[in-house]
Amino acid sequence: MSIKLQLALLLASLLTTVFVTFCVVRFKMNVKYGIVWILWALIILFLSIFPFILIGFSDLLGVQTASNTVFLITIFLAYALSFYLFMKISKQNDEIKNLTYEVAKLSKEIKEKNRNE
Amino acid sequence: MKTLIIVPAYNEEKNIPKLVESLNNYPYDFLIVNDCSTDNTKALLVEMKLNHLNLPNNMGLAGVTQMGFKYAYDYGYNAAIVLDGDGQHKPEYIEPVLAKIEEGYDYVVGSRFKEKKQPWNLRMVGSRLIQSLIRIKTGTKVTDPTSGMRAVGNELISEFARSMNFVAEPDALTYALHAGFKVTEVQVEMDDRNDGSSFFSNPFNSMRFMINVCMSILFIQW
Repeated sequence: MSIKLQLALLLASLLTTVFVTFCVVRFKMNVKYGIVWILWALIILFLSIFPFILIGFSDLLGVQTASNTVFLITIFLAYALSFYLFMKISKQNDEIKNLTYEVAKLSKEIKEKNRNE
Repeated sequence: MKTLIIVPAYNEEKNIPKLVESLNNYPYDFLIVNDCSTDNTKALLVEMKLNHLNLPNNMGLAGVTQMGFKYAYDYGYNAAIVLDGDGQHKPEYIEPVLAKIEEGYDYVVGSRFKEKKQPWNLRMVGSRLIQSLIRIKTGTKVTDPTSGMRAVGNELISEFARSMNFVAEPDALTYALHAGFKVTEVQVEMDDRNDGSSFFSNPFNSMRFMINVCMSILFIQW
């Protein structure tokens, strides 16, 4: 892996960690969700400091250059993350549906009660 | 048997008075679920003092129908029948459909083509495709899988009230068949819409509906 790529990864992961931490501290993001991004940045940081892991992994898979392995890993992580988001959205969708029903039912019951009084 | 007629309604201010007039001839409770209409439906429902739910946000037909099932479940109804608010489903078929529930069926579909021949237009080609998928999956021949007029017994009310994946009619039908519920069809007639335009007049919507339904039948409903 070229020293340039290594430095770029190092810089990007450091900036990501700082940015995410900043967001969490400034209450723009829930810690629970911030952790995923911090972990991601830490993995990239780790790989840029110890590039032999990446190189060994590339050899193992028969990938020609280490940078392609970086792509492979990040694309996979991006997929995993977007799937996780889909699951969250779908769950929240259902929760919103339940809340919508409860709100509609309560407002109906309140109106009926007021009418009867 | 305590029976609820569920009427999903989205912008149906023109159709509701007529529908309610005919529904009043039947001894069943009905619930109009107003899916956050943008016209005067809400005011009309209050003014006519109809039993209704006003949803605070727009959930789409499947969501609205599920709200109806939730209501039926919460208030202890033993049977529920879905009747669209747009006047397509004729109230005179409520009795024959409910009669089958009384006989002990769990899921009764009001089919347009049980005894009559199904025409060949684009929409019916879609319907036939869904029919063959359901047949492959469950081994049962159904004649009108997309019919929105259906009645549901006690057990399925509670399942539909709680599950997130019985969105469209064919999905629910496939589930009921696959899970071994007693399913049957009753011949009904449906009108063309009295007023308003259909969701399926947009080809993109039709395409998306077909893809969703096919994937759901094949991979999701077990």
